Amino acid sequence: MVESIIEVSGLVKHYPLTQGILFKKQVGAVKAVDGVDFTLNKGETLGIVGESGCGKSTVAKMLVNLEQPTAGSIKYKGEDITKLSGRALKAVRRNIQMVFQDPYTSLNPRMTVGDIIGEPYDIHPEVAPKGDRRRKVQDLLDVVGLNPEYINRYPHQFSGGQRQRIGIARGLALRPEVIVADEPVSALDVSVQAQVINLMDRLQNEFDLSYVFIAHDLSIVRHISDRVGVMYLGRIVEIGRDAEIYDHPTHPYTQALLSAVPVPDPEAREHRERIILAGDVPSPTNIPSGCRFRTRCWKAQERCALEVPALAIPSEFRLTSGPAAHDSACHFAEEKQVVPPEEPPDDLAKGRE
Amino acid sequence: MLLEVRDLHVEFKTRDGVAKAVNGVDYSVDAGETLAVLGESGSGKSVTAQAIMGILDMPPGRIAGGEILFQGKDLLKLKEEERRKVRGAEMAMIFQDALSSLNPVLSVGDQLGEMFVVHRGMSKKDARAKAVELMDRVRIPAAKERVKQYPHQFSGGMRQRIMIAMALALEPALIIADEPTTALDVTVQAQVMDLLAELQREYNMGLILITHDLGVVADVADRIAVMYAGRIVEQAPVHDIYKAPAHPYTRGLLDSIPRLDQKGQELYAIKGLPPNLMAIPPGCAFNPRCPMAQDVCRTDEPPLYEVSEDRTSACHFWRECLNG
Repeated sequence: MVESIIEVSGLVKHYPLTQGILFKKQVGAVKAVDGVDFTLNKGETLGIVGESGCGKSTVAKMLVNLEQPTAGSIKYKGEDITKLSGRALKAVRRNIQMVFQDPYTSLNPRMTVGDIIGEPYDIHPEVAPKGDRRRKVQDLLDVVGLNPEYINRYPHQFSGGQRQRIGIARGLALRPEVIVADEPVSALDVSVQAQVINLMDRLQNEFDLSYVFIAHDLSIVRHISDRVGVMYLGRIVEIGRDAEIYDHPTHPYTQALLSAVPVPDPEAREHRERIILAGDVPSPTNIPSGCRFRTRCWKAQERCALEVPALAIPSEFRLTSGPAAHDSACHFAEEKQVVPPEEPPDDLAKGRE
Repeated sequence: MLLEVRDLHVEFKTRDGVAKAVNGVDYSVDAGETLAVLGESGSGKSVTAQAIMGILDMPPGRIAGGEILFQGKDLLKLKEEERRKVRGAEMAMIFQDALSSLNPVLSVGDQLGEMFVVHRGMSKKDARAKAVELMDRVRIPAAKERVKQYPHQFSGGMRQRIMIAMALALEPALIIADEPTTALDVTVQAQVMDLLAELQREYNMGLILITHDLGVVADVADRIAVMYAGRIVEQAPVHDIYKAPAHPYTRGLLDSIPRLDQKGQELYAIKGLPPNLMAIPPGCAFNPRCPMAQDVCRTDEPPLYEVSEDRTSACHFWRECLNG
């Protein structure tokens, strides 16, 4: 049975825009996150993709309680963490840790690696008694593939990939159950990205972690995720298992996004259909009525401006049990294959001849 | 040949010693051709481009040897004044970060028009009309109104279009685009790359596309040069290299990227880190990270082996690599 560990419902984050100095009058709001629902199951990786400004990082911050939501709830094992405070909040925070995007600015340059990774123990001393900490930190360094003797070095003595390993070690220090990783590899070089992704894969099995993996790179998200949610302008427009999203997308935005990703295969250049979207993402202060994607959508009709499409299995697929039957917030959802189908492995193809 | 770079060497003097950023680069671009220069950070791909454009910071940089032949003349032998006439008019560059490459206190119209005032001696009024025309060309909507606006009033994709317009202004024969879409979102990246490719065809320009993204390369390039530690380790037509790489570094890069169309198992990871440019390993620079390295790789620097007529590899064991 699948056991859920985090349940997010109706999550909203609006940043008010004010005018005036003494009497601040609210004149509008940046609707960074505008009604997001998802579930994270135990031991799985949920990927969240979207372009810049879609609200994916704000969701991450709310999950680890760095931002307070305007509305909605985040339930960790059935308990709404947005309403907690004091000791109860501290206990929950221990179990949900974060890995940041930029390994250059997320590590304090004046602290040694040992102090950086060991700092969580100052806040949660029950995890590691004082005398035990050094050994624990060295164990963590070893786990993430760094030499335990580097414990007294400073962040500038490490490369970007090694720094990201330090950030991951810090995230693991308190033995959390959930790790929220916000673009953990986007600042790294291609050859180093693979090392860090493999490390995260290995740690997930070793420590039985659940990941929320946020990224803009659709290929990486497919590689690491069990389920994927696609965000656009503060909402999830489509969510499902990785094969459902990548091989059977039904939302036009997902289709456009996938078709725009360059595939490292020059042969695909000629026979690949590209959907090039017109224009830019609208401003989150002024979100279009109805379906928020309609201003860039080639299928948009009158109904799209009037009715907000719900994130649910579209009615035409509801009775089928195929891969197209997953949640998609579109009035005119239809299946469209945009990613070239996977080639059968070489030996398989040869066997058929 | 439009541009030929021959045995280019560039060094940087730093407090800790001399960093050898470019160590003997050869490549060439023809009119209408797209050459992709692929490499990780620190591989020397941008430094080579800056040397071609003549915008290298000197000092601390120094061109330690080589030739850059552009339409037959060696650019390195030209005086700065002559060089300035080439730059912008004959060859132009598009940078990664459009926001920091545009002047925030001048309107985009003034910045586009400046090209015509300086190089063509046009009046301000004519230059403004030219600027509007260019903005239309790169499909910026309502160009007439927006020409008066400042860079911060444009979105990232629009700013990159303005950069492209600026590069195209004097119809140069060569454009160097240094990671032109890295800062953009995928849907916008597709728009911008499409536009760039279309304009290149129309003007029959040579294009050097500097990137680390193997996907973008596969989409637009005719030929690829793969750089590692300041050298080109493999150069080949785009179709050949993806089918069968002839250098273990290229192979490693291709194997280490997750694929959109495949749910992979464990990714192949190139072990270790790129070398420190102040202490490049003897022999082949890639040998400490190479799964195929033999004794000879640690002592003898591999020459550029000719794999086929239009293909080279700097690996002693290119045959083995080519056959998998």
